[in-house]
Amino acid sequence: MISLYRRVWGDKNVISRRQYWGLIFVLPCILFFIVFFLYPLLTGFYLSLTKFTLLRPPVFIGFDNYANLLKDRLFIKSISVTLGFVLGSTLPTVTLSLFVALLFYQKFPGREGLKLIFFSPLLPSVAVVSVIWVVLLHPSGILTSVIGPLVGKAEITWLHDLTLSPIVIVVARIWSAMPFYMLIWLAGLTAIPQELRDAARVDGANRIQSFWSVELPLLRPTAVFVLAVSTISAFQGFTLQFVIAPNQGGPVDVNTTLGIVIWKYGFQFFRMGDAAAVSVFLFACIMVVTGAQLALGRSDRHTIN
Amino acid sequence: MANSTTTYESNAAFEARLRKRITKLILFSTGALVAVVFGFPMYFMTVSAFKAEAEILSTPFKWLPQEFVGLDHYAAAFDRAPIGQWYANSVFIAAVQVSVAIFFAAMAGYGFAKFRFRGRKLLFALILSIMAVPFQILLIPLYVEIRQFGWHNTYAGLIVPGLLSAFAIFMMRQFAFNIPDELLDSARIDGASEFRIFLTIAMPLLAPASASLVIILFLFSWNNFLWPLVVAQDRHLLTLPVGMTVFSQPYRGEPFVGPAMAVSTLATLPVALLFIFFQRYFIEGMMVSGIKG
Repeated sequence: MISLYRRVWGDKNVISRRQYWGLIFVLPCILFFIVFFLYPLLTGFYLSLTKFTLLRPPVFIGFDNYANLLKDRLFIKSISVTLGFVLGSTLPTVTLSLFVALLFYQKFPGREGLKLIFFSPLLPSVAVVSVIWVVLLHPSGILTSVIGPLVGKAEITWLHDLTLSPIVIVVARIWSAMPFYMLIWLAGLTAIPQELRDAARVDGANRIQSFWSVELPLLRPTAVFVLAVSTISAFQGFTLQFVIAPNQGGPVDVNTTLGIVIWKYGFQFFRMGDAAAVSVFLFACIMVVTGAQLALGRSDRHTIN
Repeated sequence: MANSTTTYESNAAFEARLRKRITKLILFSTGALVAVVFGFPMYFMTVSAFKAEAEILSTPFKWLPQEFVGLDHYAAAFDRAPIGQWYANSVFIAAVQVSVAIFFAAMAGYGFAKFRFRGRKLLFALILSIMAVPFQILLIPLYVEIRQFGWHNTYAGLIVPGLLSAFAIFMMRQFAFNIPDELLDSARIDGASEFRIFLTIAMPLLAPASASLVIILFLFSWNNFLWPLVVAQDRHLLTLPVGMTVFSQPYRGEPFVGPAMAVSTLATLPVALLFIFFQRYFIEGMMVSGIKG
């Protein structure tokens, strides 16, 4: 019996033979990984090289889909829309959430209660956020009553205005994303040893000097993380534009992000090949950001050592 | 002379105290301003669900309903759309996805942490690679695959792709490292089978460790939008986030703002309860997973 085990596993004793139970434990997840991740990931690349409308089997056409995308007005437009959304939402989110984290890091009466209220945007899903903002942005609604008098208007069609609608969607995004990034900043701040701040104080630094020369450099890993995560998630902007903007990404495509293009090509026009090609492009964009994150993280380690 | 020194000193003490007070006051006012700005939309949602339709949009904003309409908007929402069905769908899908994903992740995490088989590191790295690939990349090929399975527009199509969570496996592996080997070995000496050891010793130790994980997986399922949007076609199969978007548009000239706020409140209620009762796990889970993005 034991010699049979030896022949099967090539192992010497019971202990090392037992280790293969680990393989059995991870097996269900590995199967899932293959069927619902690896296989679709690879077929995604393949589909981007085909003409495929779901009705007939995919036909291999090489890089034609990519060549066509270069001439595709909606796709080109969606790149600038996505970049606008990424830049417009990431920088304010990152800086404002750092500011709020610094504020709530201080001690003052009522801090915990106010912090909890600040966290309230963590609760609604993006779909709920979208519906709430549609109501807040009603042409004669609450936001118009605040901004309207300043510009002398009784009605503002926030969502049907070509300039305003991408801006208000960015505002909704900043509102819903900030508490999460504030949490990350706060964790970063809390992780800085108090002795370092005290040492800076002893050396005669005031609060602002101590922030710039002690805390900010130590927050660099947090900054890299926050920047990367917020950029990557803004690149995938979809639900806000899908629900808040009129006609899924409108008006006149000013809110048509890459995600919306994937959805439109895939599920409105059933051009699966084109949709897959846009997905691959989006993947490449996100990989560039991930690469930058890893590179920045690495150089960071060098400066600390 | 001695007298003036004491006055001077108490003046300095008074100034320091005053300065501290003013700092606290400035901090409090800034904090209050931030809280009001960020808390307002959620307050607006909750209170508007009880206001008359015209009052919701009227200005200036009233902090409390002038005309309290009770549950009228809730009733209107249930009249207009199968909210109950969508709610049940979302609860059912979340329950299955969370429990199955936790079980398989516990198995895999235990396997990765407590056994030294060949290829262990490679397999774990492969699983982690899932986290670097955004879901939108998989949307088209996964949908095509689900159609081939005949799962388009079915619960299976909605649920099954969400049963694998790389993040859950990662967390479970971390937790499983803390299980003492002596405990497992003594069970082995008693002759228990490996699977029995997992179920009776490892699982009970892993389950409580995963409170924040359960909350995160629930949120992920409950809030999921893109996948149910493309998989579910029939009205009765929609999930709450997808279905409720009909309330973002006026409908046959009927009032829609009040019902929209009522449905939004209903959709946020379970998450709000989780936040209130499990605040620590909730925040901890959000931070380690980076889910909200």
